[in-house]
Amino acid sequence: MRDKAFASYHPIILFVYFTVTVFITMFTMHPVLLGISFVGSIVFCGTLIGVKELFKSLAYSVPILIIIALTNPLFSHNGETILFFLNDNPVTAEAICYGVAIAVMIISMYYWFKCYHAVMTSDKFVFLFGRFLPKLALLLSMTLGFVPKLKKRYREINEAQKAMGIYTSKSYVDRIRSKVRVMSILLTWSLENSVDTADSMRARGYGLKGRSSYAIYRWHRQDTVMACIAFALSAGVIWLMFSGYGDYNFYPTLAKIDVSALAFTLYAGLFILMFLSTVIEIKENLLWRYLRSKI
Amino acid sequence: MKKDFVAVVVIVFLIVVLCCGTKIQSVDDYYLTHIDDITEDSETVFLSIECSTILNNWNDLDPALRYEKYVPSSGFILEQTEYVLRKGDTVYDILSRAVRYNKIQMEYQGANLSAYGSVYIRGINYLYEFSCGPLSGWMYTVNGVFPNYGCSKYELKDGDVIAWVYTCDLGRDVGCEWLENNDIKAQSIFGLQGVGI
Repeated sequence: MRDKAFASYHPIILFVYFTVTVFITMFTMHPVLLGISFVGSIVFCGTLIGVKELFKSLAYSVPILIIIALTNPLFSHNGETILFFLNDNPVTAEAICYGVAIAVMIISMYYWFKCYHAVMTSDKFVFLFGRFLPKLALLLSMTLGFVPKLKKRYREINEAQKAMGIYTSKSYVDRIRSKVRVMSILLTWSLENSVDTADSMRARGYGLKGRSSYAIYRWHRQDTVMACIAFALSAGVIWLMFSGYGDYNFYPTLAKIDVSALAFTLYAGLFILMFLSTVIEIKENLLWRYLRSKI
Repeated sequence: MKKDFVAVVVIVFLIVVLCCGTKIQSVDDYYLTHIDDITEDSETVFLSIECSTILNNWNDLDPALRYEKYVPSSGFILEQTEYVLRKGDTVYDILSRAVRYNKIQMEYQGANLSAYGSVYIRGINYLYEFSCGPLSGWMYTVNGVFPNYGCSKYELKDGDVIAWVYTCDLGRDVGCEWLENNDIKAQSIFGLQGVGI
C-alpha cells in the first residue's frame, strides 16, 4: 500500500502542526472557526482512513454530538430566546447553540487525534522526545496508542469467544452479559500486558545512557517549505485570535458574526491551515494514480 | 425471551417515571401567574433589585451586556415594590415570585448542589456572577443588613425590606463591611450568596 503523503514530512512538523490545530480548536468558541476545524478534521480523517471507515465512525460520533448538544440547555438557563420551560427552568435557543458548539469542538478534537494517530506513529514520537524526555515520551506514546490497541485486542477476544460458543443465545440480556465478559478479559489482559511491557523495556535498557536509536527521519527541502507556510499561517491566525477576532458570545443573545476584512483573513488563514494536510494528501494520491496509470 | 421482556418492561417503566417527573410549559403558560392582591390584613415585604455598581465599573462589564436592557441607566432592574408575604416565605421565594411576575430572567443553583444547603442566585436579568470582573456577583440585604446565610434559609417577617444588589468588588462597594480584610472568610461566605470564588 502507498505510504501516506502527509506522514512523509519530518516528525517535528507533524507534531507542531497537530499541536497548533488542536490548541486553536480548544481555545475558540467562534462558530466559523469551529466549523472550519470540524470539517477540516473530518475530511482529513476521511483521506487517511478511507471514506467507508469514516462513515462507520461518524455513525457513532453524530449521536454523541446530539447528546452533548441537548445536555447543555438542561444545565444552563442563560439566553433571551426561551423555547419552553422545563420544570420551571427556561430551555433557551442560545444554550442549545452553545451545546452544539461544545459538541462540535469535542468531535473535531476527536477526529484531529484520530488523524494524529494515523500520521504520527509512536516511533516518530519517541524519536522526537525519547532523547531528552525518555519517560514522558514512552508514557505519552503508550497512552495515545492505548485506545487503538484496546480496540484491536477487543476484536481478538471477541472472535476467540465467538468460536467458543458465546453469543449463541438470542436473548439481548445474555448478549450484553457476554460483552461484559469480553470486557473483563480485555481489562485483565491489558493490565498484565502493561507490566510485561515495562519489564521488557527495562531489560532492553530503554532510556539508559549511551543507548542509541535508529532513526530514518531527515530534514528535506519539502520540510523547510512546509515549515515556512505552516508557521506563517499559524502565527497570523494566533495573532488575530489574540486580537479578539476569535471571540464570540453566545449569551445573552447570539452575537453577530464578524465580517470585517481582518476577520475574513482569520477565517481564510485557518481554512488554509486546516486543509493544508488534506490538500497534500489528495494531491499526492492523485499524482500516484496518474503515474501508475502511465505504466 | 423472558429476560428480554423483563428488561424492556424495566426500561419502559424508567422512561415513564422520568416523563412524569418533567413538566413542560410554553413561555406564555409559565408567565401567566397571578400575584396575591395586597389587602389590609396581609403581611407584606419590599423587594428591589439594583445593579448600579456596574455603572461605575463599565469597563469590566462583559461587552455583550453593555446595553440598556441589561443594565438600566437608573441602576434598578426592579424598583422597590411591595409583595404579599405568605407564611414561611424565604428571601428566595419572594425573589422567584417577583421575577416570574415581572418576566425578569433569573438563574439559580438549587440548594441540593450547594455545600451550604441553600439556593445560590447565579444571575438576574442576564447579569451573572463574574459578568463584571472576577469579584462580581449578586448579594442581598434585609433591612440594610447583609445576612450571614443563604437566601433560601432566611425566613422573612412582616415589613422586611429586601434589596438584591450586584457587587463588583466582593461586597465592599455595596457596603458589606464584615468582609473587610478577611478574604478567607469572605470566600466561604460568598459561596452562600454572592460571589463564588
